[in-house]
Amino acid sequence: MSNYIIRRIISVLPTLIGVTFVIFMFQRLIPGDPAVAMLGEHATEESIERLREQFGLNRPLFLDREALADGDLAGFFDSQYVRYMKRLFSLDMGESIHRRIPVAETLAIRFPATIELALLSMFIAIIIGIPVGIISAAKRNSAIDSISMVGSLVGVSMPIFWLGLMEIMLFAVLMQWLPAGGRLGTGIEIKPITNLYLVDSLLMGNFQAFKDVFAHIIMPAIALATIPMGIIARMTRSSMLDVLQEDYVRTARAKGLGRGLVLFRHALKNASLPVVTIIGLQMGTLLAGAVLTETIFSWPGIGRWVYDGILGRDYPIVQGGTLVIALVFVGVNFFVDIMYALLDPRIRYD
Amino acid sequence: MTSLLEIKNLKTRFFTADGVVKAVNDVSYSMESGEILGIVGESGCGKSVHALSIMQLIPDPPGKITNGEVLFEGRNLLDLDERDMRKVRGRDIAMIFQDPMTSLNPVFTVGYQIVEALRLHNDMTKKEARKRAGELLTLVGIPGAETRLDDYPHQFSGGMRQRAMIAMGLSCEPKLLIADEPTTALDVTIQAQIVDLVKKLQQELGMAIMWITHDLGVVAEMAERINVMYAGSIIERGKVRNIYKKTRHPYTMGLLGSLPRLDDSPGTKLASVPGLPPDLLALPEGCAFAARCAYRNDHCLAEKPPLVEIDGPDHIVACWRWEEIAGINKNE
Amino acid sequence: MANITPEEVIVTDFAVREHRSLWIDAWRRLISSNTARLGMFIVALFVLSAILAHYFWEYDPKVDLDYTLKLKPPTLVANEDVPSVHLFGTDKLGRDIFRRVVHGGWNSLRVGIVAVGISLTVGGLIGLFAGFYENINMTSLERIFLFGFTGLIMGILPAWAAAQPLQAVLMAGLGVAAAYFPNFHKDSINRLWIFAAAGGVVTAVPSLFAGSLVTLVCGVWGILTGALLSRPLEGKFFSNVMMRLMDIVLSFPGYLLAIAIVAFLGPGLEKGMIAIGIVSIPVYARLTRSAVLAVIQKEYILAAQAVGEKHGRIIFRHLTPNILSPIIVQTTMGLANAILSAAALGFLGLGAIPPEPEWGAMLGDSYRYLTSGAWWAVLFPGLAIMLSVLGFNLLGDGLRDALDPKLRT
Ligand SMILES: Nc1ncnc2c1ncn2[C@@H]1O[C@H](COP(=O)(O)OP(=O)(O)OP(=O)(O)O)[C@@H](O)[C@H]1O
Ligand SMILES: [Mg+2]
Repeated sequence: MSNYIIRRIISVLPTLIGVTFVIFMFQRLIPGDPAVAMLGEHATEESIERLREQFGLNRPLFLDREALADGDLAGFFDSQYVRYMKRLFSLDMGESIHRRIPVAETLAIRFPATIELALLSMFIAIIIGIPVGIISAAKRNSAIDSISMVGSLVGVSMPIFWLGLMEIMLFAVLMQWLPAGGRLGTGIEIKPITNLYLVDSLLMGNFQAFKDVFAHIIMPAIALATIPMGIIARMTRSSMLDVLQEDYVRTARAKGLGRGLVLFRHALKNASLPVVTIIGLQMGTLLAGAVLTETIFSWPGIGRWVYDGILGRDYPIVQGGTLVIALVFVGVNFFVDIMYALLDPRIRYD
Repeated sequence: MTSLLEIKNLKTRFFTADGVVKAVNDVSYSMESGEILGIVGESGCGKSVHALSIMQLIPDPPGKITNGEVLFEGRNLLDLDERDMRKVRGRDIAMIFQDPMTSLNPVFTVGYQIVEALRLHNDMTKKEARKRAGELLTLVGIPGAETRLDDYPHQFSGGMRQRAMIAMGLSCEPKLLIADEPTTALDVTIQAQIVDLVKKLQQELGMAIMWITHDLGVVAEMAERINVMYAGSIIERGKVRNIYKKTRHPYTMGLLGSLPRLDDSPGTKLASVPGLPPDLLALPEGCAFAARCAYRNDHCLAEKPPLVEIDGPDHIVACWRWEEIAGINKNE
Repeated sequence: MANITPEEVIVTDFAVREHRSLWIDAWRRLISSNTARLGMFIVALFVLSAILAHYFWEYDPKVDLDYTLKLKPPTLVANEDVPSVHLFGTDKLGRDIFRRVVHGGWNSLRVGIVAVGISLTVGGLIGLFAGFYENINMTSLERIFLFGFTGLIMGILPAWAAAQPLQAVLMAGLGVAAAYFPNFHKDSINRLWIFAAAGGVVTAVPSLFAGSLVTLVCGVWGILTGALLSRPLEGKFFSNVMMRLMDIVLSFPGYLLAIAIVAFLGPGLEKGMIAIGIVSIPVYARLTRSAVLAVIQKEYILAAQAVGEKHGRIIFRHLTPNILSPIIVQTTMGLANAILSAAALGFLGLGAIPPEPEWGAMLGDSYRYLTSGAWWAVLFPGLAIMLSVLGFNLLGDGLRDALDPKLRT
């Protein structure tokens, strides 16, 4: 098992390096000079030049061949990319160009907000999607099956920003049951412990706060959950159907096991393999979808923040935010691989 | 005295998009305790479906048992509800399957799968069950049984997996073991070992065995009686000696080839009969075998021959011309 | 009694069923499924209305504006307040939402086709070649190409560092030589040394004039490259490199990468299409590759190989037709995805440029008026997105069932 983990870590490394490289390229390729963006249109040549010097923007992108020709090996490697990698390794994400706030500081607040939303959505998607898929498979071709499969296809087809707007219209504007946006009502205090407010409010033992946090998070979470829910339900159904026609399911029944045990003990564990994979991939959908839900529900997460960063040419934000998102995604899928090995002895013992 | 298993007019159908597949047609026979019954026939003639019908493991939909009775010790299994039927499966009747590679669940250890069967039907603690599972593995000839309990199926070879399947089947000491081509997927030497193992276990434990196979050498050696199936029906059945020496059905003769001998060694496959079996979606009016039969006449094409006793219950055949055929059988 | 003799056996085959073509069979299954029929209906409605509106219902978004009719709710008959009929109401500029929704269909259709076209062509080809060469030994010509190309790519760095193109050419030549003499000191460590040395020489010597340090760096790089070229690289190498690249693209959550690409290319519907197309390349590449892997060991491919057919012909004549079903399904569902992503970009203000009618942009335009009760400005464009996406998904789902008889009951 530990062999397997080490192999997986090694195989993730090139992906990680590629990811950081792509992030670097995007920062530099997006048109517009960050120094100009920082100082404004009317800054003097001179001050722009100084700023470029200060941020290393005057260095070549990857390698400096003039330095090499001058016999300066250190200079050869002293490029924007190398500096960027160095900063990455020292976990220095710089500070926002426009607001002059350290990126890490903002991340520490905004990242948990996105993660909290994503985790709750995934939780909703799983606890609804998997049972729906199992029931559909068990009652294949019945009315329940057709309804839940068309239903989950509607979920997959949902423009989540629109669903979010419809939720707001119904529950916030018309019924006035829930707040239309934000993460916390005015006057509610949360002591930031994990920065996951649902957890924090419980840790504080403040049920009032918990209710408020829940009222704020539930609409965006449902909007975000629809697509993964549909996908998980469909994947569970089809992989259950695949497994149910396997010989070992027949063996289990021939032993005298009841339908429930066959379904939940013998079939589900096998059927969960592709489902686990799809759940990992859906984590990416959730993180990406966060840009949309965070916009609609004024959710103070990183999705919207990175988006604004891209439009405002705020490179450190883009870099820090994208990196964290990509890392989470790679990490989740790494975790999925481990889960996979735990579930499937054929992989574990290879 | 009631037989161990008595099947009456069993009919099983698959209702598919292309039409109704008549997989088992009016099968009737009986089996006594401790007896070994062989069932032979070409691929697709309904051997497995008929066995699965006894266990009520037909995939439903599309399959349905549409008619008949399956009397096990006098009790009609088809009348039982799923709950009671579950108690029969594994405890009274156990079944092992053709492909040991796919018949064990890959995500559970072999030990777990045997223990599960044991604890389902017996009042045992985990520890007792595990101990018994170890004994069973030893019984079926898996060396180092204790440690191998914690192995996963993919760590077993094909022959070992089939042994484990047999251990699982025998775990609750069933009165009837249905073995559906248990050796087909294995290579020849392993096949012989499995056959010997089952014979030995049968002598020790005394259960009845229904041995479904293509291997004429093996059934000749181990079975007392044989059912020959064709297109979902039994077309000839009786004592081994009768089937081999006094063959009365042209299809059986075709299967046995020109020179079937009782001392055929294991591995003797069915000889091939020219042509293809009929489409079970559209069975012909008359004898299902007529299209391929060298002896057919208009009567055969028009009317389906009934099973007739030609030597009491020891030899029964469904052919209009069995008497004429008797005259040309070279084996007598 | 013993007078019966076997006649000449005339075997009648009852068993052969009426032979039907696979595709006709699939078509019958498709139209016998309710959900697939629903999907086909929605898709047909969507495509027809988009095309008809584009060609026969003139609309110039630039002059469509009437402040007197700002944000009017849907009306079915004209009255004195609203003198014209607006089935879906009007938006903040007094534009008829029904008309804009219908015309928006054309844009969504275009996005779908262009984006899927890009990802299908690029991803499909990558997957096809990766899957094929992963399993089939390369011909010597192909190997020469692979090695030469690898050498060329690797040679670019020293060529750039020494400011002259010679090294890239020499490295390509070294690659070709390595491919041309695969048996030269084969299985011997000497091969490694010889090629590493040759690589070092061909990169170091031409850069001598550029300074000693340049020579050193180029030489080291050349040695490494030479060592790589001494290895018996095969299709697996190519496939690995390609699939790793795809992994990297895949590890960015979809929209974010698309947003970044649009930020790089600049806003506009066309840029959006390209961005969405690029983002889903890996999906098609992976799917095609695994489809190829599923059939590559089949008899008909082996047979084609055995009779010595050209690789290009095997790929396009024998392989491609046999992996079409999963690709057709993915393409249909990919259309749905592309429409959805384009709408998301439009909503964020990155897709179509106003006043161009595009569903996502229409939503982005009007959602601020939701709190003042203008639900119709949000409901209808969103419904249009959802229904068209659902239509393609239903159709894709039906196609999967129809093309995959294994799952049939
Ligand atoms: N799930 C099913 N749906 C439709 N038809 C089926 C199904 N299962 C079996 N059949 C049909 O029933 C017939 C009998 O099949 P069965 O598996 O009993 O054959 P068999 O005698 O066991 O053959 P083999 O020796 O190859 O195992 C076949 O024609 C088969 O096509
Ligand atoms: Mg069978």
